[in-house]
Amino acid sequence: MAIDPSAVGRIYPPQPYEVSREKVREFAEAIGDANAVYVDAEVARKYGHRDVVAPPTFAMIPVMRGFDLLMADLGIEFARVVHVDQRFTYTRPLVVGDRLETTTTLDAIRQVAGSDLLTIVNDVRGADGDQVCIAQATLLIRPEENANA
Amino acid sequence: MPDTLAVGQVVAAQEYRITRENLVRYAGASGDFNPIHWNDRVAESVGLPGVLAHGMLTMGLASRLLTDWLGDPAAVVEYGVRFSRPVVVPDDDDGVAVHVSATVTDVGDDGLVGVELAVRVEDQKVLTQARAVTRPPKNDTEGVAAPLG
Repeated sequence: MAIDPSAVGRIYPPQPYEVSREKVREFAEAIGDANAVYVDAEVARKYGHRDVVAPPTFAMIPVMRGFDLLMADLGIEFARVVHVDQRFTYTRPLVVGDRLETTTTLDAIRQVAGSDLLTIVNDVRGADGDQVCIAQATLLIRPEENANA
Repeated sequence: MPDTLAVGQVVAAQEYRITRENLVRYAGASGDFNPIHWNDRVAESVGLPGVLAHGMLTMGLASRLLTDWLGDPAAVVEYGVRFSRPVVVPDDDDGVAVHVSATVTDVGDDGLVGVELAVRVEDQKVLTQARAVTRPPKNDTEGVAAPLG
């Protein structure tokens, strides 16, 4: 069954996420990025940051919390989801200690060959409400009857 | 590194490998435990050619080329990709080779640099529309350490 088109414009409650030192280290190691700025606060300060910063794609972790809310709301199982595209636009980097709030908006739904294409915008803000990052994604939701095809 | 960047200039190129071990590490670090990224039985049952790399892992690997070049990962202001083709990761010690190269597409009056990434496995593009907007590299700025790796 197609996603209810009236869901367009739906905004999901802000989800908290705290950027921790060990998660940044673990994520950088997992993508094999050995940049010292992810682990050494002194090096990060030389670049003008208050502490170590997270890799550019780290923002996907807080963004996923918003995806989870949206998928639960629309009754979409994870197995039906294909990640089509992803973009991050930064106002400032994610820094260790940041207490983020990510607000997720279902921006558009298009139907293509029986699947739904969802455009999702995630607004990632800091504790003071300052904008940190906008993440935009397109997810393709395969129809239920073909989920196991 | 030349003092000025020119449109069309290839600023970096690198081969990265993804093995099953990398998938396990990325699953743990990112919290994306979808079994198609670690379980052959599940991958085959949903019609996939095998266990696939997380699209976000491939996007993260490709970002290493940028962050190594830039020195400061926070110089990546915008980064977006389209996941055009799955990356199948064989169950062996070698894994799969992902080739990434970065070409300057724009040098703006505001100092920002547009970069297009070519990301391929063998002759197939696995990410398309892989583009970043960055500040210029600062690796050789006085008093700033170069990346470790």
